Amino acid sequence: MANSYDLIIIGGGPAGLSAAIYGGRAKLKTLVINKGTIGGLADTTREIVNYPGYIQVSGPDLMKDFKKHAEHFNVEFLKEEVVSVDFSQEEKIIRTKKGKELSAKAVILACGSEPRILNIPGEKTLRGSGVAYCATCDAEFFEGEDVVVVGSGDQAIEEGMYITKFARKVTVIVLHDEGVLDCNKVSAERAFNNEKMEFIWNSTIEAVLGEENVEGVKIKNLKTGGSSELTCQGVFFFVGMIPSTHFLKDSGLETDTRGYIPVNEGMETNLEGIYAVGDNRVKYLRQVVSAAGDGATAAVVAERYIEELNYFNSNIIQSDKKILLLFFNVLVNESLEFSTLLEGLISENGDEYKIFKVDMATKKSLAGKYQIEKVPAVVVLDKGEEVKRLDCSMDKEQLKSQLS
Amino acid sequence: MSLQQLNSTGFEEIIYDNCEPCLVIFSKKECHVCKEVVPMLEELKPQYDGKFGFYYVDVEEDKELFQRFSLKGVPQILFFNNGEYQGKLAGKVEEESVEEKIAEVLGV
Repeated sequence: MANSYDLIIIGGGPAGLSAAIYGGRAKLKTLVINKGTIGGLADTTREIVNYPGYIQVSGPDLMKDFKKHAEHFNVEFLKEEVVSVDFSQEEKIIRTKKGKELSAKAVILACGSEPRILNIPGEKTLRGSGVAYCATCDAEFFEGEDVVVVGSGDQAIEEGMYITKFARKVTVIVLHDEGVLDCNKVSAERAFNNEKMEFIWNSTIEAVLGEENVEGVKIKNLKTGGSSELTCQGVFFFVGMIPSTHFLKDSGLETDTRGYIPVNEGMETNLEGIYAVGDNRVKYLRQVVSAAGDGATAAVVAERYIEELNYFNSNIIQSDKKILLLFFNVLVNESLEFSTLLEGLISENGDEYKIFKVDMATKKSLAGKYQIEKVPAVVVLDKGEEVKRLDCSMDKEQLKSQLS
Repeated sequence: MSLQQLNSTGFEEIIYDNCEPCLVIFSKKECHVCKEVVPMLEELKPQYDGKFGFYYVDVEEDKELFQRFSLKGVPQILFFNNGEYQGKLAGKVEEESVEEKIAEVLGV
């Protein structure tokens, strides 16, 4: 089937591309679905100086290398927007805006995040007429003018300094007390020494003013509660990001109140075969290097999951004989003794049954599927359907009677 | 289908001499939002073949054009009909908004 994959990765930023490299190398039929340009947020970064092996590189250049690397392992790419998913079955379904339907055994969510909108008066109506979100795109339109930057994180301060190359003056509106910025220390120091940068502390922005074009902003002082107006021709918003996980709303996937996806150390979500990596998951550090690590982990865990799934489907569901799924753990002696007993019994007594041994340490998803917590345990399957469970007695006759 | 690029002369001809109903996207190479919006227009273009023109202006190559419309950022899609400016869409716009705006300009 042309639209059927082992692994589909939604999102082509550093996390998604790293997962693709690992997936492709593991010979999984892998597809990356990406709606815009490849590279995600990293693609909008002018300069990256902390990705190991690259002393200084532009975001787009680094992401081109990531993509080339994935293509080298025969990963496929599809430029489309995913609008809905169905993760309720073993075969995961993904639908795109243009009506394409794709399926995969495992899905890695690497959808990243998007700029938060404050929803204040003027913000939407004056977009493109002085309201902006991207300095690389728009800074040069403010040559010799006064610009306001809202926010004090890395992006706000670094982009603000970039804007000073064009603007006459850049005024940064900061929530915190004087001298406190959310950005890294190096950037903060540079910003304080930049003659074109000014700061308004303990403040936020209430409205963007102007009819046709931005003429100013209304600033609210959080300490005094007072409002003031500041004349400017441009406003750049850098007030944080929100995860791009809205299309997953009805999928049964767990997210926190802000929309970020919680995962365990294997990047597993609450749904089997679904993983979340990079900026759209709950995490401490949002950098290219940590995104890449997430991607690698998820792809390896997904690979094991797919392998188990394939093995199970070809050896158990399609078996003519009844299957005894025998769960064991090498650390539990009782389960090993029981295993020997059962194997002996089956080899002596006809060929109605076939034993399939499941190591609890490695086949976690199978154990989870049958909710096995204690070993030894035996589930009897007929054509893949559970028919009963055995009482794992060490009494040979008692055991034998259960199998007749 | 790629969009025809206009310089100042081409712009005058298409918009003011031919009075063609059309849209012009003002864009630049180093703008990631533009890289999402331009392909969307390229895909939309064939549907309007012969009815509505789709053009492209690179603001770095033709500064004079974006200054004339006092634009403050890219991408922006400007709409024209009968040699008159009919409004614009700014930023990351969806296909549906463009289709609606075209219908409005064409008066259908």
